[in-house]
Amino acid sequence: MATQVRQFIFQCSILLLTLPWLSSSLFAQERERTGTVVDTNGEALVGATIYLEGNQQQGTVTNIDGEFTLSAADDDIFVVSFIGYQTVREEVGDRTNMTITLELDQQMLSDVVVVGYGIQRRSDLTGSIASVSGEEIENQPVASIDGALQGRASGVFVSTPSGTPGAGITMNIRGQTSLTASSQPLYVIDGVPIISEDLSGLFSGGQSTNSLADLNPNDIESIEILKDASATAIYGSRGANGVVLITTKRGESGQAKIGFSMYSGFQEVTNTIDMHSSQEFLRLMDDAARQDNRDLGTNYPENHVSNTWGFDPDDPDLQNTNWYDEIFRTSPINNYELNASGGTESTQYFTSLSYFDQEGAQIGTGFERISGRINLDTEINNWLDFGTSLTLNRTIQDRVINDNSLYGVVINSLAGDPLMPVFEEDGSYADPFNYFGWWMLDNPVLIGEEYKRFTRTTRGIGTIFGVAKISDNLSFRSSMNIDYTSLEDEAYTPIISRESQNANSNGFGTFGTTQDYTWLIENYLSYTNTIRDKHSINGLLGTSFQKSNRDFSSIDAQGFPSDQFLKLSVASQVTSASTSGTSWGLASYYFRGNYTYDERYLFTFTGRLDGSSRFGDNFQYGFFPSASFAWNLANESFMENQSIFSELKPRVSYGVTGNQEGIGNFASRGLFGVSDYRSTPSLVPTQLSNADLSWESTKQFDVGVEVGLFDSRVNVSADYFIKNTEDLLLNRLIPGISGFSSVTDNIGEVENKGFEFSVNGAVVSRSDFSWTSSFNISFIRNTVKKLEVNNQVLNDSHILTEGEPIGTFNLIDQEGVDPQTGNMQWVDLNEDGVIDSGDKRIVGNAEPDFFGGFGNTFNYKGFDLNMLFQFTVGNDVFNHSRASYENLGWNRLDPSGAGFMLPDGNNHALADKRWMEPGDETDIPRASLSNKNWREYSSRWLEDGSYLRLKTLTLGYNFTPDITRRLGMSSLRVYAQGQNLLTFTDYTGLDPEVNQNARNPLVAGSDFGTMPQVRTISFGINLEF
Amino acid sequence: MKLLFTAILTAFIFTLASCDILDTEPETSLDSNTALTNGASAEAIMLGAYSRMQTDPYYGIEYTLNNDLAADNARYQGFFDSQLEVGSGNFPINNLWVESAWVDIYRVVNIANQLIAEVPDIEDDAFSNRDFILGEAHAVRALAYFDLLRAYGYHFDTSSPFGLPLLADPIPNNDFNQIPDLTRSSVADTYQLIFEDLNTAIPLLDGFEDNTRINYWAALALRARVNLYAGNYGDAYDDADEVIENGGFVLEEDVESLFLTTDTTDESIFDLVFTDQDQSGYFTFTFQRDEYNVDPSLTESFEEGDARAELFSNSRNSDRPLKWSDSNNANNLKVLRLGEMYLIRSEAAVFDTNDPDAGTDDLNEIRNRAGLDDIGPFATEEEYVDALLQERRAELHYEGHRFYDLVRLDRLNDVLGREDFKKVFPIPRDELQISDVLEQNPGYPSE
Repeated sequence: MATQVRQFIFQCSILLLTLPWLSSSLFAQERERTGTVVDTNGEALVGATIYLEGNQQQGTVTNIDGEFTLSAADDDIFVVSFIGYQTVREEVGDRTNMTITLELDQQMLSDVVVVGYGIQRRSDLTGSIASVSGEEIENQPVASIDGALQGRASGVFVSTPSGTPGAGITMNIRGQTSLTASSQPLYVIDGVPIISEDLSGLFSGGQSTNSLADLNPNDIESIEILKDASATAIYGSRGANGVVLITTKRGESGQAKIGFSMYSGFQEVTNTIDMHSSQEFLRLMDDAARQDNRDLGTNYPENHVSNTWGFDPDDPDLQNTNWYDEIFRTSPINNYELNASGGTESTQYFTSLSYFDQEGAQIGTGFERISGRINLDTEINNWLDFGTSLTLNRTIQDRVINDNSLYGVVINSLAGDPLMPVFEEDGSYADPFNYFGWWMLDNPVLIGEEYKRFTRTTRGIGTIFGVAKISDNLSFRSSMNIDYTSLEDEAYTPIISRESQNANSNGFGTFGTTQDYTWLIENYLSYTNTIRDKHSINGLLGTSFQKSNRDFSSIDAQGFPSDQFLKLSVASQVTSASTSGTSWGLASYYFRGNYTYDERYLFTFTGRLDGSSRFGDNFQYGFFPSASFAWNLANESFMENQSIFSELKPRVSYGVTGNQEGIGNFASRGLFGVSDYRSTPSLVPTQLSNADLSWESTKQFDVGVEVGLFDSRVNVSADYFIKNTEDLLLNRLIPGISGFSSVTDNIGEVENKGFEFSVNGAVVSRSDFSWTSSFNISFIRNTVKKLEVNNQVLNDSHILTEGEPIGTFNLIDQEGVDPQTGNMQWVDLNEDGVIDSGDKRIVGNAEPDFFGGFGNTFNYKGFDLNMLFQFTVGNDVFNHSRASYENLGWNRLDPSGAGFMLPDGNNHALADKRWMEPGDETDIPRASLSNKNWREYSSRWLEDGSYLRLKTLTLGYNFTPDITRRLGMSSLRVYAQGQNLLTFTDYTGLDPEVNQNARNPLVAGSDFGTMPQVRTISFGINLEF
Repeated sequence: MKLLFTAILTAFIFTLASCDILDTEPETSLDSNTALTNGASAEAIMLGAYSRMQTDPYYGIEYTLNNDLAADNARYQGFFDSQLEVGSGNFPINNLWVESAWVDIYRVVNIANQLIAEVPDIEDDAFSNRDFILGEAHAVRALAYFDLLRAYGYHFDTSSPFGLPLLADPIPNNDFNQIPDLTRSSVADTYQLIFEDLNTAIPLLDGFEDNTRINYWAALALRARVNLYAGNYGDAYDDADEVIENGGFVLEEDVESLFLTTDTTDESIFDLVFTDQDQSGYFTFTFQRDEYNVDPSLTESFEEGDARAELFSNSRNSDRPLKWSDSNNANNLKVLRLGEMYLIRSEAAVFDTNDPDAGTDDLNEIRNRAGLDDIGPFATEEEYVDALLQERRAELHYEGHRFYDLVRLDRLNDVLGREDFKKVFPIPRDELQISDVLEQNPGYPSE
């Protein structure tokens, strides 16, 4: 935190401070004095300012050795200051050479946070903002920063829907505000709101790619999460889901520092399912026939299934394939990084180059990134500064299809027949259609190894900015920014795959591109002044113009000569080719005013006027205001004589923010699209018009308190909020006689309210041993308040109902297993004697009761130990996968007994707890060749998804300065780290943190062939010269 | 200096940024108000009606095969609830297909409405096929309304009030606020609009013979079918007779050459064309998936020696219909073909004359082509209807006729043992929810 803030203030000083002494002249009668400014460790401080008290015109700054030369009379006083340190007054006397020591200003260091379009002292904040420092998430073996934020900030629910490398991640700040639009926050990197959606066009099951994985997490200095309306309203129509401000590292003047870091480790899935062996599989099938004889009066002979198939269940030499072992692996993860930073008084730089390489814990997956950055700041003269931030990245994601799709790797393994080998004796892939499982549509090892699916992204984000100081109180900042992504998708489905064979296509390939070019121009004036010591005023007034163009292309071809090829030029037939494009624009005007009276009463007003190309003609501009108030109780006179509270600040805010992400670029227009008939282009109406279409609007009330205890040794933050989102973009049902079933319209209403609490503190802080602890917890309740049509069945498992949260499960319910018959007791809700989708009812939801994290850091001499636990409690998971591997013998075709038995496939070991004999008390029914006890969309598969996870555990050692000095380094650290080491859960599936439909939160909490999370153990080293 | 610099920079940036930020135009669509402007765009929109017929809920697969699934030709062994519900003969009012077919077929109606309203007034001297387009639009609307009526209305009872909401004008400005809330017209009024459209279309289409679109003969053949459903047997006979005698179509010599092709055939009056670039879902859902497996009662129903019994292949323990065997989903849908015209003429002859043997020759035309000997004579109407139904099943299975045949010949209960109210599908739940006046079909719940 300290470094981070210091750099911020430094950066900020370029903005806010003048260096008037540079233009001043010296007086003749004084003597030259030289000196060195050092910190309490004796390290030179570079760029500290020294001036004569009473004469600010006469001053200088220290050079890279911390030295200065300045003329002064004996009775002069040097005022020495450095950002982040307490200012010192030093009487000159008759000394010509002196050493001045500055002490760290603890108060100030913890005191500055980045806010929208600026920075503020934490003590001046009136809104709710959580901060995470770059150090906390540095060197974690994860592809993207959003994943590293899990469990670290209250009110922020981060979940990784799949363990696929580079897969999309879900972050909800204070709940889900939207039904159809995104509930993901706006990400702003160094002031640039970036494109954070999935740009890939490849089908991959329910998972998306993560465009935030284009960024190198180690370049990050700090992350601020803006939560309440006071903090987010300055981002107007994009602020409703919260805003994540990411600040990257910048250089400091001083000696160049060169850092090298690397880590190397291996990963494996957190869990696999314990499946039956071939012998157990056969015995279960035979038991199913036996049970049917008893219950259904069938007349199968003993060992009916194994005899029909020609196997002996007691034969120890049966083929025994464990499909999870075949598709999962232990895979390496590596990261290398080199950075250099430093600068002169007027110009500072930070530059880095890094390479990240992750092989997936599942065959056929991986992620690779090479990224470079240069951040430069320069002071042109005493009123004008320029700077630039530039990053260029290349990522390659190698993935497979998964989740609810016919040709996924995990999904085909679910009930994989253990009697089927991976390879036949001749070395060819075994074909599931030659074996007994109905479930498998293709050999999952073939899909993992032979299908090719790459997404390659090249992305550059660049900013150039200038800050002009117009007067002591007024400055003007202008920036131009570009976010450019060029993405290539390439996929190949091999000739030997069932998918290709079934379609007679002889292999088929796809090549697609997405180019996204977004530019942004921002200008703002900042004003700051303190009038008569007690009235402190800050103002901000600015404009922002942003435009984004996106172009797509895609080519599909088939008929490949062999599976050695990937490029489409060898294909015999192009089956489709297309290009298209779209664009959007945003023109915005914003202001913020802060007024503080006597450091006690703080007021903030913000507002933004957003015009969007997406809005309908009748509502082209939207206005988003907020107001907040905070009271610094600790600064009141009646608090002077107590030593418990170093800070006590209740605050309250209210404001309106918007969400325009869900509006399609042309959703308000009546449109005709192009289709074709007989290979001739045709025009078809594709959309009716809605001139009233506008943003989703979130009204948020927040009341909170910041408490600092015992000289800020313990800090507590608590908030209660009510977030009411209106005008939700929903499909309004319209009479179908129009040829359309719906238009996008502003209709629904959703409420999120919650309580969030965080505390951190120094439990022990001695010179050789310290222990700091942190804890956060959030209780958030989401309720759908108003819909166009109530009780919307979203799919086979989910429903949207007023009064219930988003992600509510609607399933056929059951009342356990009848101990006499072993059959499921289904609830015939409509009492029609038939169990079908008409009997579904609400049985749970995917929303946690509460979630959070707790961490501890211990430092003992050079050792540090850091651990972070993260938990989610009270959410249900629909373990849809279990419907396949707990089929208990259901034989898909021909239950009459004639012909071959074709059951779903294998069962997990939990099936041993099934009902066997009358009187058995269990919740797993008897085995049966019929599907009487099997309902795909039933509460039989609904499980408690609560878990507690040891998210990270790091043990590090910092070598002492005398060793590092001998090695010629300034610091050296080695560490070992574990990620997802322990997971405590009752969930029986692969991993409780799962979502097969990462793109659609409305149907959250289902697990159907989803790649589980991975456990990573890595070892790393950081060197600095 | 500083102020000047700032002012210049600000002015520069504002000029740069204010140009056209909020003006964006779709690059792959047209604004509705500018889509129909000349003859070429009228032609493109006319073709658009066919491409909307190709959607899955309509002729892309479900309208056709759900008919066989609702009857006894197909059985459901797949995954999708929608097909499960249709296959079980239990039609919930929110069945996905019931909901989407309504909308998709009405989309075709709306395209036709726009053309019918605007084509006569388009100013374009080069618009030489104006009459054809206008006629075609009327005929397309007739087809769409007839298909809606068969699915959702009491098509078998011309005295019933349960016809369709009839929208015959375009929606002003394409604005959803201006969609009228229509009540259901009677079956008689619905038939009347269909006949008016066909009667308008047929003279306009004279000379238009493209059998991949609704041409002159297709409009006549459609009128034959509509007349048959409406019980106008004399008219049905005349229209079918005209198509058979003067249309120039001939029965394909054998059933393989009729079905094992992706081209139009000598028998095609109107084929909806699918290609490997513009695929249907038929192969996917019959061969690759188990949504429409062949019901064993269909294969068992063929007489010994019937060539049509060979139009199946067995895989994964179930029969698959070779009528849809092109793996690129490029088999055309034979919306109207000559074979059906013989069966219509046969049936119309019997019911028009009350002579059970009046249609035997036409039945035998179809039987002989399938390698079967003559049948008949028939002594009673009952006997004839049995033979007709069997022949229609053998000939037209998996082409979307069986369920409607059982309904209009009043055999639903005999053959499928199903309650009378299930002669039609329910009006979709969504439509009832948003309308104040729309009435559900008798026997089905309203919400």
